[in-house]
Amino acid sequence: MTTTLTGSASVGNAIMRFGFLIVFLAFFVLFAAWNPVFLQGGNLSNIIEGSAVLMIVALGMTLIVATGGIDLSVGIALDFGAAFAVVAMKSYGMDWFGAMCAGLIGGSVVGIFNSVLVVGLGISPFLATLSTFFIGSSVQRIFTNGGGPISHRRMPEEFRNLALGDIYGIPTEAVVAFGLTVIYFLILERSIWGRRIHAMGMQRSAAIVAGIRVNRILITCYVVVGVTCAVGGLIAAANIRMFTPLSGFSYLLDAIAAVFIGAALHPRGRPNVPGTVLGVLFLGMVANGLNLMGLNFNTKDALQGIILVSALALAVAQQKMRRS
Amino acid sequence: MPGDAFSLAGIVKTFPGVHALDGASLSIRPGEIHGLVGENGAGKSTIIKILAGVYRPDQGTVSINAEPVPSLTPTFVHKAGVRFIHQELHLVPHFTVTESVFMGQELTGRLGLAKRDMRKKAEAFLRNILGIDLPGNLLVRDLGTAERKLVQIARALIDGKAKTVVFDEPTAPLASDEVETVMKAINALKAEGIAILYVSHYLSEVTDICDRVTVFRQGKTVGVFDQIDADSSGDLIYAMVGRNLTDMFPQKDRKSRGIGLEVSGFGDGERFEGVSLKIQRGQILGIAGLIGSGREELVEALYGLRSAKSGSMRIEGEVTRIRNAAQAVRAGLVLVPRDRRNAGLVLPMTVSENVTLAILERNSRFSLEDRNAARKTAAEQIGALDIRPPNPDAVTRFLSGGNQQKVVLARWLAKTARVFIFDEPTLGVDIGAKAEIYRLIENLARDGAAVIVSSSDPVELVGICDRIAIMMRGRMAGELSATDLTVDGLVAATTGAADVGTLADAVA
Repeated sequence: MTTTLTGSASVGNAIMRFGFLIVFLAFFVLFAAWNPVFLQGGNLSNIIEGSAVLMIVALGMTLIVATGGIDLSVGIALDFGAAFAVVAMKSYGMDWFGAMCAGLIGGSVVGIFNSVLVVGLGISPFLATLSTFFIGSSVQRIFTNGGGPISHRRMPEEFRNLALGDIYGIPTEAVVAFGLTVIYFLILERSIWGRRIHAMGMQRSAAIVAGIRVNRILITCYVVVGVTCAVGGLIAAANIRMFTPLSGFSYLLDAIAAVFIGAALHPRGRPNVPGTVLGVLFLGMVANGLNLMGLNFNTKDALQGIILVSALALAVAQQKMRRS
Repeated sequence: MPGDAFSLAGIVKTFPGVHALDGASLSIRPGEIHGLVGENGAGKSTIIKILAGVYRPDQGTVSINAEPVPSLTPTFVHKAGVRFIHQELHLVPHFTVTESVFMGQELTGRLGLAKRDMRKKAEAFLRNILGIDLPGNLLVRDLGTAERKLVQIARALIDGKAKTVVFDEPTAPLASDEVETVMKAINALKAEGIAILYVSHYLSEVTDICDRVTVFRQGKTVGVFDQIDADSSGDLIYAMVGRNLTDMFPQKDRKSRGIGLEVSGFGDGERFEGVSLKIQRGQILGIAGLIGSGREELVEALYGLRSAKSGSMRIEGEVTRIRNAAQAVRAGLVLVPRDRRNAGLVLPMTVSENVTLAILERNSRFSLEDRNAARKTAAEQIGALDIRPPNPDAVTRFLSGGNQQKVVLARWLAKTARVFIFDEPTLGVDIGAKAEIYRLIENLARDGAAVIVSSSDPVELVGICDRIAIMMRGRMAGELSATDLTVDGLVAATTGAADVGTLADAVA
């Protein structure tokens, strides 16, 4: 009984991934049949380009969920990244490089603050990052006198290219998102740090007894995630040539959804980078497809939720089937 | 047989690739305590699940209250009066005793929940049947483990319809002085005419409490003992493992090779004070002590899981400060913790992942893991310790207790540490695996490690240790040489029945 479990797990695992793939493809076909525009190259690259920032934020979320926590302040880190960069260029006349560095520092400030709350004060990640979210939102409102955007029309070309340029014909933001995905994949799924992160996420007390320095790992992870989300902020700022306060919030729930879609696809339910990528693409495709169907803006969210629940229910059902 | 509360005969159950049960039989009469023993993997839990209606047998016949039953379902089994007391308590910490007893079977009156009525009934049941006075408004989280066990029992039996009760390892989480309380309650149930199936690894308990015993080995019933007394354990062991275990404990002709670990004036400012220990390399030091003696806390402090407020530590002569577990591991001091399922292992991870968790750097390049090298390291340890199944990719959760313990050990063997601390190394481990774990501990000492074994099992301590330090009320009461010490002598010393100093003189 015990010896056979690993064998059947890999079969069940294959079935499960296959199952999600079927849902994925079914929607793909459905959207394509509904509106031929969906399949056009321009639209498909739209999906990928439009998913780049969410991808970046979701990567960060994957890392924190893997440590056994959650980060509700990813949007704040994104906003801080955008704000620091825009203000650095507009008020301090920094060049593109200085602005990007300033943005990343902005994100790391949020990460450091989270580390202090979670590791230093021992507050649970959920409550700690929720506080960061409240404080960070308020700081933005105060700084912008109530939430007005800070626009900077004369952005350096190099900075703007983050969102508008391309590298060998591939949009820069897609290249950046892809690069970060590879880095996150190597860290979480292939490196010894990833093994430690997963171990502490699954069974913290066992990780401690095994001699893993969990506090050091936690601090590093929160800072890394803050910086990562700031990259997303830089792209968002470059795209619209301004900093819009509180705009990062819109990525939070999608990022959480993508991470947990990914975890549901994993044979042992672990948050993982390839799963998150699938989750992000699925959400991006559904949002885009529903748009092209010309649906009422207000019904779109409901449909998206229903599709998400059905896909996840299917994954869970298949997981159960494989266990019995 | 007529009159049996239930009987299962010729049960066969296969899972893909495994014969879990291969013609097993088990029958129990009303008013008896029937022991079921066997090594891990002998099929004890499978037959319990068949009786519970969770698994459907491939072959065999089942009858309950002397009536043949075509097929068992959980609902049917419950209606037939069969109750299960699982090893895990499944209690909500923030519920009161009354709420826990009546959870899912609340009594109602005209005005909703009949709270006072329920409390009266719960308290009466606990007092009259189980022999313990527990106020119904106490919270579960404030109860001791034995009391929680009794609440769990009360919950299964409060409806008064139970005819058969299955106890699965009821004493596994209990300290030896708590076992008595639970035993008394089980005997009281027997007096009520209830048929009791008692599944346990602890043979001394089985011979103590059971009227008859069925022995499983490799999915078969290999013996039913009708006469059980204190001397039966040898026969039971022989039936269980198919060989004699006279060499359960290894020889003690170990040489000491210089100082390994030295601790002096150690205290956490709370639970223990002024503890001094000295362990030679190549020797095994036992630490004995009742619950509350500070023994557990001392082990935690040695490993940096609890902060030491006073005292100093030297490892092989070097002054070492340990503030957390990571520092302990780097100093070459490692712990095999008592709670292996939470603190010892990352259960959802594979055997390979668990074994290599402390030596990740070794099998990596530029911090990227070489998975094949890691699996090879794990495979070597699996071979050396005879871990089953011998599969590095098996998920640790599905291994038996003994094999899980070996995985924890394998991690530290791969790391090559200098000081090993074992906290309750054989808790919940079957007798065959026990002997193997003793041999592994022995080998560590022979290879020159300093070994500490903290245990509540006096037989174990006397069996494998060279010397035994005795903790009492947060202080070191003294140290005894284990070579001439008897189990009775150790029990007398830990309980304070005998003065350690006099004992030491007597032994010398």
